[in-house]
Amino acid sequence: MAEDTGTLPDQVVPTRDPASENGSGSPGSADPGAADVPDLDAPPERRWTWRTRLWRDKSLLIMTAPAVLLLVVFNYIPMFGSVVAFQYYDIYNGFRNSPFIGLDNFERLFRDPNFWMALENTLTISAVQLILYFPVPIALALMLNSLMSTKLRSFVQSVVYLPHFFSWVLVVTIFQQMLGGAGLVNTLLRNGGLPTIDIMTDPDTFALLVTSQAVWKEAGWGIIVFLAALAAIDPTLYEAAAVDGASRWRRTWHITLPGIRGVIVLMLVLRLGNALTVGFEQMLIQRKAVGFQASEVLDTFSYYYGVVTSDFGYGAAAGLFKGVLSMILIIGANKLAHAFGEDGLYRR
Amino acid sequence: MGTHTPGPSRRSFLFTVAAGAGALAAPSVLAGCESDSAKKTGGTSTSELAKILPAYVPSTLVPPDIPSANGSDPGYLKYPTDQITTVPEAPGAGGSYTAITPLWGAIPSAKGNKYYEAMNAAFGASLAMKPANGNTYGDVLPTLFTGDKLPDWIDIPSWNTTNLNFGSAVEAKFVDLTPFLSGDNVKKYPNLANVPSNAWQAGVWNGKLFGIPVYPSNVVLAGAIFYRQDMFEKAGIAEPKSADELFEAGKALTDPKKKVWGFDDLWTYLAQPFDIPFKWAIDSSDKLVHKYETEEIIQALEFMRKIVAAELIHPDALAGNTNETKQRFTSGKIAMYGDGTGAWGGMVEQQDLAGDTVFKMQAMQPFTASGTGTPRYALGNGASMFSYLNKKLNKAQIEECLRLANYIAAPFGSAEYTLVNFGPADVTHTMEANGPKLTKTGEKQVATTYQFLATAPSVTSKPGYEDWVRTYCDWHAKAGATAYKPVFYGMNITEPQQYSSIGQPVEDTITDVCRNRKSIDDFKKAVDTWRRNGGDALRDFYTGIREQYGTGQ
Repeated sequence: MAEDTGTLPDQVVPTRDPASENGSGSPGSADPGAADVPDLDAPPERRWTWRTRLWRDKSLLIMTAPAVLLLVVFNYIPMFGSVVAFQYYDIYNGFRNSPFIGLDNFERLFRDPNFWMALENTLTISAVQLILYFPVPIALALMLNSLMSTKLRSFVQSVVYLPHFFSWVLVVTIFQQMLGGAGLVNTLLRNGGLPTIDIMTDPDTFALLVTSQAVWKEAGWGIIVFLAALAAIDPTLYEAAAVDGASRWRRTWHITLPGIRGVIVLMLVLRLGNALTVGFEQMLIQRKAVGFQASEVLDTFSYYYGVVTSDFGYGAAAGLFKGVLSMILIIGANKLAHAFGEDGLYRR
Repeated sequence: MGTHTPGPSRRSFLFTVAAGAGALAAPSVLAGCESDSAKKTGGTSTSELAKILPAYVPSTLVPPDIPSANGSDPGYLKYPTDQITTVPEAPGAGGSYTAITPLWGAIPSAKGNKYYEAMNAAFGASLAMKPANGNTYGDVLPTLFTGDKLPDWIDIPSWNTTNLNFGSAVEAKFVDLTPFLSGDNVKKYPNLANVPSNAWQAGVWNGKLFGIPVYPSNVVLAGAIFYRQDMFEKAGIAEPKSADELFEAGKALTDPKKKVWGFDDLWTYLAQPFDIPFKWAIDSSDKLVHKYETEEIIQALEFMRKIVAAELIHPDALAGNTNETKQRFTSGKIAMYGDGTGAWGGMVEQQDLAGDTVFKMQAMQPFTASGTGTPRYALGNGASMFSYLNKKLNKAQIEECLRLANYIAAPFGSAEYTLVNFGPADVTHTMEANGPKLTKTGEKQVATTYQFLATAPSVTSKPGYEDWVRTYCDWHAKAGATAYKPVFYGMNITEPQQYSSIGQPVEDTITDVCRNRKSIDDFKKAVDTWRRNGGDALRDFYTGIREQYGTGQ
């Protein structure tokens, strides 16, 4: 975010390498409250012109260009397709010739109880995932970080990474093979003359089931970012604390967690921005198992009411609604992060 | 030249039963949607259809070992060795065309493809095949239509045209084949004249013939409940003839400790025994009722609830795992499951090649849930895919393409049939005792492509599996005897788009009711909502069609 340094007030000298500033730990950068002071003065005077800044950051800009290009081609251009949400879209006429119907699709959407049910399910599953899934990679990273043997560490790391590369079909199948009605656990119970337990097809505990599947599949992958943040903490802080007789727990509480707080908040903001995306394939595969009342989320709603039944305009309206809501969520979360003095997605 | 046996034209017969094929202009009930009424979706009356349909001149090159009965596909125990040429001269005039067809399987490379090369040489024209993934075919179509990138010749499955406004698109983009094929005009193309009229019927839109039928058959059935005959015999159970017997058979075979269950998810295939209408039915007061509104569907739901409550369905099937259904069946984890009739032969062959000598698969004959009365089976359209020619082609090009279609549609027993299905001899296939066998090159290069542009009437043939051919033909003939034409049979009807998704909540509720998560009352409530959201309007729409064009029965 080197461009942002230009907006910093005069007394802060822009650094060439913003990474070192982040790396030195958030405690220092965590009080940009000082930036509020010059508000009393005239608007911050720009030290460098736009052109010189462009020149200064040229290598960074060139490096981001391919990613930006991908974003434009695969994310921004397709956004114009959202126009379908305002049409009776017909694949044989295309969006140029399909009739415009204004907000009819949205009116229908807001009157549709199944849509509200999908939204409610999405929020429930998202909340459960936030509480039960989000802390898991952090805890895993802390545990891994405390392992001394690098060999053991990389072995454990590889093992927990692996499920990330499995498809959801495979993950759900593995769960079904282990916990399903004809799976390992229930077969053992049955052979032991015990009553079987219904895990895979119980709609009441579905949110827990999808969260545990998500933990199994993605938690290992999620630790990468936190491990990197942990590695950036200055080891002399630990040494000094240890010399002062700080216990392991106190070191974690006073050095490690504050050290990775910025990253945790960033991940939380991103997570909230994605709060309405709770796993399309996962829901699709298990729809019959638990029924639509437990598994219908906004993404599957768009799919079933848009694509499957060829009511594309309606599905697109649901998708667009989700996009707008996600946008509001991510901006809100970012503002909240700023209010708590964290960086959030970008430095204010 | 082939031994064409000109039979009596069935045209006149069909005129009386074919009530009309064609999408309809939205009647007054849809006045709320102005844009729809402006679209060209006009229908076809009975007398119009008479002028449109091509004459039917059946030709049988090789007399079948098991003749057709009740409209069933004729059976051949052996692959004919004396192959007859039906198209003596190269049909092409050196033209060059492109074609897009769906393909379920690996897409062969066009470069250096001996199969394509041999076909083009036989055509005397260049027909560049561009197969596209069948599973995502519906997603490819929009880009072709909107980007004006339609090829010269394209296969469009019927399931991609029901909910969509295909009725107006077809006129704008494709060739009206009526002047080329209607009545006696088709006789210029004898292999196309061999395609029965009920298959052509579903290719008629707005009173004009647009589609060339793909895989036509006189008895298209949605599928059957298959059972493991070996497991039934071992347990001493006879083929069920009623819902109660079906339940008892499932109960007797279920043994969870041995990981064996009686059934897979049978729901779709309960439509036959419980006589759930295909979509619409006419009740005793002569009104249209939707299948959701019938007493039959409630009875079927209650049966499903009963077998679910008794835990006779494999848990993985209840959890919605359909990928492994066939595997569950072949490995004996389930004794009964429902599937399309096309699955049968392939599974028998697969288990035989795998050295499974125990496996015996049989399809149940249609029966009634009550065990009394006459069972009946709703007949499917005479073809479920059609190919269309691009409107940009001129008259000479259209005729050239139709001559190519005539070549591709050559019947079983012809030299053309072998070339179209197996490629050139000794290159992509070798002729063995049981019939043609693909070579290694053939396995890579030959794919079902041309057949999706035009096909001869279906026959039953599986060289090397004479017993299965006999069993299948017997089943097909007996099931065919129970076939009836459902309401709006063979009619292309484009439903008003705003109602296309109203059925989804009902379907979802059915899944829940079947699994005892919801009650029958919940289902009735869902149907009430469906009626309010457009179900009644749809009934009015279909009633309008019925009044104007009949029911196709």
